[in-house]
Formats: sequence, C-alpha cells, structure tokens
Amino acid sequence: MIKDLKNICNPLVFENIFNSYAKDVKRFMYFKTKDMSLAEDIVQDTFVKLWEDCKKASYTTIKSFLFTIANNLFLNIIKHGKVVHRHQQGYVHENNNESPEFLYLEQEFLDALEKAIAVLPEKQRVVFLLSRIEKKKYKEIATQLNISVKAVEKRMHYALLTLKEKIGDI
Amino acid sequence: MEEKITSNDTYLAKWIAKEISDNELQQLISDTDFRTYKKLRDGISIHEQLETPLDTIFENIKEIIKRKKAEKKRQPRVRFLYSKIAFAAAASIALFFSISTFLTNRDLTFQSDFGEHKTIALLDGSEVILNAKSTLKYNEKNWKNNRQIFLKGEAFFKVQKGSAFYVTTDNGTVSVLGTQFNVNTQNNFFEVICYEGKVNVKIDDSDFILTPNKSVRIINGISTEETLTLTTVKPTWILGESSFRSVPLKEVISALEKQFNIQIDVTNIDSTIIFTGAFDNKDVNIALASVFKTVQINYILKNNTVILSK
Repeated sequence: MIKDLKNICNPLVFENIFNSYAKDVKRFMYFKTKDMSLAEDIVQDTFVKLWEDCKKASYTTIKSFLFTIANNLFLNIIKHGKVVHRHQQGYVHENNNESPEFLYLEQEFLDALEKAIAVLPEKQRVVFLLSRIEKKKYKEIATQLNISVKAVEKRMHYALLTLKEKIGDI
Repeated sequence: MEEKITSNDTYLAKWIAKEISDNELQQLISDTDFRTYKKLRDGISIHEQLETPLDTIFENIKEIIKRKKAEKKRQPRVRFLYSKIAFAAAASIALFFSISTFLTNRDLTFQSDFGEHKTIALLDGSEVILNAKSTLKYNEKNWKNNRQIFLKGEAFFKVQKGSAFYVTTDNGTVSVLGTQFNVNTQNNFFEVICYEGKVNVKIDDSDFILTPNKSVRIINGISTEETLTLTTVKPTWILGESSFRSVPLKEVISALEKQFNIQIDVTNIDSTIIFTGAFDNKDVNIALASVFKTVQINYILKNNTVILSK
C-alpha cells in the first residue's frame, strides 16, 4: 500500500504530485521566463515528461526532479531564442485581458506582496482572496459573508491600503 | 494619509474591480501613491495568475498522455524492423533452450491402460509389447550408446542384435545382446522368462544366466531359477491368455484387476495360496470363473468390484 502511494506511475499519485507542485514549477518558471503563458507551457511539458519517466523518478526527490526537468525545458527554449523573441515583440498572450502591457515585477516585490497578503487582518484577507483569487464579485461576497456590499468594498479598500503601506517602499 | 481626505473609503475597491478608471483614481490620490497602487495591482494580478488552479493544464496533460499512448500502440508498425529482429532473437533463444532440453533430456514414456496391450517399436528395430497397466520409459537421445529401458509391469521384448540392451526394474536388471524374453515386474513379484538367445538377469548381487526355456523369479524376496516347458514362442498374454505357474494368488488377482479394470476385494480369502492356471483376457466372467472356480472361491461381480468369499 505504502509502496503504491509512492509509485508515480499510479495516476492518482501523479495527480497528487501535480496538485502539490505544479504551482511551484509555474512560479519558478514565471520568474525565469517573465512570461505567464510560457511558464504554463513548461509546466505542462514538465509533467508530461514526468509521466513518461515515472519509473525513473523517485517520490522522495520529486520536487527537485520536476524543477530539473522544467529548467532543462527552459534552457532548450532559450537555446532556440524563443524567449528573447517573445520579449522583443512585447509578446502578450491573447487570453491575457488583465493588462495589455507586459507584466514584469521583481521576485522580491512579489514575495513581499504575498507575505503582506498572508498577514492581512482576517476580515480584509477573506474579502481580498474571494475577490482576487476566487474572482467573485463584491455582491456575491456580500451574500456569502452575509454583509452589505458597502462593507465588502470597505474591507477591500482597507486591504489595499494595508498592502500599499507594507510594500510601498519596494 | 491622503486617502483619508475623501470621505469615500471604497474607491480603491472600486478601482481594482474596474468600476472606476485609472484617471478617476488619479484625481483622488497623489501621483506617487497612484504609481504604487498600479504596481500593487500588477503584483496582485501576477499573484492571481500564479495562484489560479491549474485544472485546465492538468486536463491538457492527460490529453497529451492519452494521445502519446495511442501513438505508442501504433508504433510497432513503424518500428517493424526492430520488433521483427527482437522477436526473432527471442524466438531463437526460446528455440535454443527448448531444443537443448529436448536433446539432453528426451525421455519417452509409454503407458498401457487397463486391458490394453501396446506394441512399441524402438529405434534399433527392437520391439516391446506392453501388457495391461504397464509403463515403459527410455531416453531417445542416448539410445544409440545406451539401450536402456525402465519398466514397470510386464512386457515382452524382441531385441535386435547390437550393443547391450538393459531392462531396468525396481527388482533387478535384465541385460541381453539380442533375444526374446518376457519381464514381469510387480511390487512383490519379478519374473523373467527367456524365449530365445541368452539373457542375463542381475538381482541385487546375484547374476542369473538364462537360456531358452529358462526363467528366474522372485516372490517376496526369494529367488528361484527354473526350467520351463514352453509351448509357445511368446508369452501367452500376448496371445490373449494370461497364464500362471505356481504364483501367489494375489499376483493373479492383480493381473485380473489390470486386465479388466476391476477391483477385487481379498479381505475374506487367503491370497497367498499358490495358483497355476490361466485366464482369458477377453471376457471378465470367463476369466473370473477360470481363476476362482479352480481354487473354490466364491465371487460376486458388481459395478466393477469383485467380492470374494470362501
């Protein structure tokens, strides 16, 4: 049973590994490529490769194994000049309607931001996460938390204020 | 704090939800703050994208894996040459092993059933006739160098001239050069009758040389050498009649059981009495009558079982 839980060739174990590490690989690749969609492509290829090499991979060292695969894929892409090309053209993914301009921030900024989000006062943090991560409208959040839309907006407003104060000087 | 100048404390929420524009926000706060908020918004956007569940990616991965699997299944056609070579290699290895085991250990076994005679032609032209319920085994590979046969039961041998011919049994070994003889080997009974030529019988440490019409037998460990008056050139069982000369009745009963596939219950009689006589191999009723009437034993045949009583 235990052996089975560590067998990466088992689809359930594989999915579990994906759920545990895919975001880490994506983050790692985002800061290397500065390109969200390219990072996601690499995540995809990394896990396909893991599945193909599932017998070779060891469960205990799986994280570094994944990062190594991802990094090799990244280096291959660099070799083919794809990254440079994309940047030079100011490549924007079609699905990215968030911001037209190329999003690029230093990793330290993002680390600080995430740390700040984590330590937001509870009420602000709940609203912030429901709004930004779960992409809920203020009205929906209001219904869910059984408070007024105005109260939701206030909490969001103060959440942003708090964040700005914490990371404003970076 | 500049923001606090306005009584409105929801505009940042509205701005990030795109309910008010950048310009509108710019009117409300300082340029420095505006730049900071813009950077904050970008950071939040990246954070969002990094945190979005990767379900679609996982679906894609599953799709790619499935597609690759399907491609792999079709691949043998593409790699026909390699797979053919691999297959040929595997087949030849398998063939090599099977042939080598075949050659080194090719024991042939013949077995006759109840009431059945089997004639076996050996490689050198020798002939063996197996009586009912008997087993013969020999190694085909070594046959040329070593004419050796393992026997259980009774058989008549017509051996072609050549190298020494051995019949090995649990009771002893019979060796000849070219002759005709009968070997009957049972649990407590061993008999060799020579019909032609010369037969050497080795039982434990004793050697018996048999010339035609001579026989040697062991009953319950006691060996006797006898000269017989043979009326036939072959054992009578081959001609359809089993004949016995001074043998314990239980050997006759055992022969009846083998010949007719019946069970004979001997608990009520003395099966050690000596019997001389014969029975017909074709009809069970005639055979039983000819054996048991002569020794005055009553018998009942029912469902292939014979119950004997005095």
